[in-house]
Amino acid sequence: MSEIVLDELSFRYPDTVENTLDSLDLQINSGEAHALLGGSGAGKSTLLNLLSGLLGVQSGRILFDGLDVGRVAPHERRVSQVFQFPVLYEALTVEENLAFPLRNLKDSASGRRGRVDEIARRLKIDHLLGRASKNLSLFEKQLVAIGKSLVRPDVALVLLDEPLTAAEPAHKWELRQTLKSLQREMGATMIYVTHDQTEALTFADRISILHDGKILQTGSPQSLVDLPAHEHVGYFVGTPGMNLLDGEISAGFYQLAGSPLAQTDSVPGPCRVGFRPEHCELSNVHPTGRQAVAVEILSKRTLGTLRQEQIGLAHARLGTSEITSRQTLSNLNVGSGWLSVDPARVMGFRDGWRIGEST
Amino acid sequence: MLEIEDLCLIPDSAPLSGKFRDGEITVVLGRNRSGKTRLARIIAGFDRGNGGRLLLDGSDITAQAPGQRSVALVYQAFVNYPSWTVAQNLASPMLAQGLARDLIKERVATIARQLELSALLDRYPEALSGGQQQRVAIGRALAKSARVLVLDEPLVNLDYKLRESLQLQLRALLHEFDMTVIYTTSDPRDVFALGDTVMLLADHALVQTGTPLDVYERPATPLAADLMSDPAANRLHEGKVLRMVRPEHLELEAHAADDVSFATTVLGIETNGSETYLHCEVDDLHGRAQWVAKINGLIDDQPGQARTLYAAAGCVLEFASDV
Repeated sequence: MSEIVLDELSFRYPDTVENTLDSLDLQINSGEAHALLGGSGAGKSTLLNLLSGLLGVQSGRILFDGLDVGRVAPHERRVSQVFQFPVLYEALTVEENLAFPLRNLKDSASGRRGRVDEIARRLKIDHLLGRASKNLSLFEKQLVAIGKSLVRPDVALVLLDEPLTAAEPAHKWELRQTLKSLQREMGATMIYVTHDQTEALTFADRISILHDGKILQTGSPQSLVDLPAHEHVGYFVGTPGMNLLDGEISAGFYQLAGSPLAQTDSVPGPCRVGFRPEHCELSNVHPTGRQAVAVEILSKRTLGTLRQEQIGLAHARLGTSEITSRQTLSNLNVGSGWLSVDPARVMGFRDGWRIGEST
Repeated sequence: MLEIEDLCLIPDSAPLSGKFRDGEITVVLGRNRSGKTRLARIIAGFDRGNGGRLLLDGSDITAQAPGQRSVALVYQAFVNYPSWTVAQNLASPMLAQGLARDLIKERVATIARQLELSALLDRYPEALSGGQQQRVAIGRALAKSARVLVLDEPLVNLDYKLRESLQLQLRALLHEFDMTVIYTTSDPRDVFALGDTVMLLADHALVQTGTPLDVYERPATPLAADLMSDPAANRLHEGKVLRMVRPEHLELEAHAADDVSFATTVLGIETNGSETYLHCEVDDLHGRAQWVAKINGLIDDQPGQARTLYAAAGCVLEFASDV
């Protein structure tokens, strides 16, 4: 499989004034499971179409193992694709579907047969080879579609476009496990495109966050959660997203509404103060020995119980901003209260970017 | 109040009865093809059920046409009139009802304010985001001033993040209108986020009804436990007993003397950056059962490793074995 490099890749649709993709730089290693995570309109589909060759490169370069593929025709790029809904030839058997991408190869019939058998065995669908594709469940069809994408021995890159969307929740886990172990065993370079953070973070070694045509951050799941480079990454990754409030740094503290929240040695001045719902706590009584800010507790929403404790989300207001916390709810009442935050988990943002982040 | 009496969703399905109270949101939770959309369409009058009655405030509406009954329906694929502005879309049900123009204008302004669409009134649907389009579709249903609002998987086509924020907004919004709201979904998260009452549906029949917390803590059947869980609840067959534990109730350490322990072998782990999904196997009467534990924080167990998991005694659900 190939190493994929995007080099200052930009794209603008005709009759529009803004770039849909704006100067993307990214290196994906050979054999890497990479995810592109973004909302609708972020540019995900445009990037997929540029990689597969459905759209022509206008500005910048796409390199496969160092080779500029900008002028290489789609069918010669050796890119295979798995879509939201399995694309199979319904009239053909599973075996015929799996063998279809091999039809133009010079391999012997037995070589092709061996390849199909190997893929079927790895996907644990060998027992389905003789079945007509139209009689398979949606889950089995998507397994065959994944098999088709990997059956050619010379495939450079596999693009996965929300491949789990159509799967029932219980099957998503199984499909993702199968996909991941296959990716590892075969050393496949895969790019997984999705708006669903759980899918992106659990599938990929590294994730790129795409927003308004720009890559805001590329990193491991943990780095995106712990050290978001940009406010939007803080908001977009995590359920619910990071709390982001207008505050300031003064006298060595992050401050909200004039109350100190956590120590910092960053440069004083206004900033956005960010912290995750799971790293803060709302209470009616001032938490002893901790910095706390007075807030108005608006509501709470139970999401489950653990050891007789109700756990869920609580919402509070500070000035015009709202805060969400994830915590135990049994002793929390609507009304006046306090916000405290794990001081090690508070961060500041200026002009969107995290203070201390080199951009 | 809307009441359903002995209604069969399809021929030969078990008859279904239920009450939908004023000012409450009832979330109807079921998997694909469980009968959710069928129920929504029967309540709105677009489909006829088999037998049974629909009562709105005590009067029988079973035979009423969709336009006659005070029910509004919002579909999965939100439908707006593409050649009309947001204001015209919101006004359309009231024009059809023949309301006075001044009154229509006033009500459009009110609904737009409540749905945060005031700045978008002159736009056409194509210039709106998916979330905004869905709010317009909901606004049109509200403009009908129906007593009952039926939302059939209204968030299913939206982005994960948009869905998350709308889930939180919708509850407050729907409560403001004091209607009877019926909301169908296949996502268990919607139940806690939105529901005052949950109604579980499977194979076109009712599985259980209650408050979200009650159904979560005391599922009537193994299927009810699974429906309110993502991923599905873990199962262990022991003699004539089936024990089930939700993924979020498994912990790495014991916290009480009567905690139940489970010896597992790790199959693999997945992380979303703040939680770990631990996939493992547990010895079972019938071989090995595959389990998932949802653990806060990150752990790096290796496949093949032994790992003991614990659950509070009260979190281990017991049923008569279904095998």
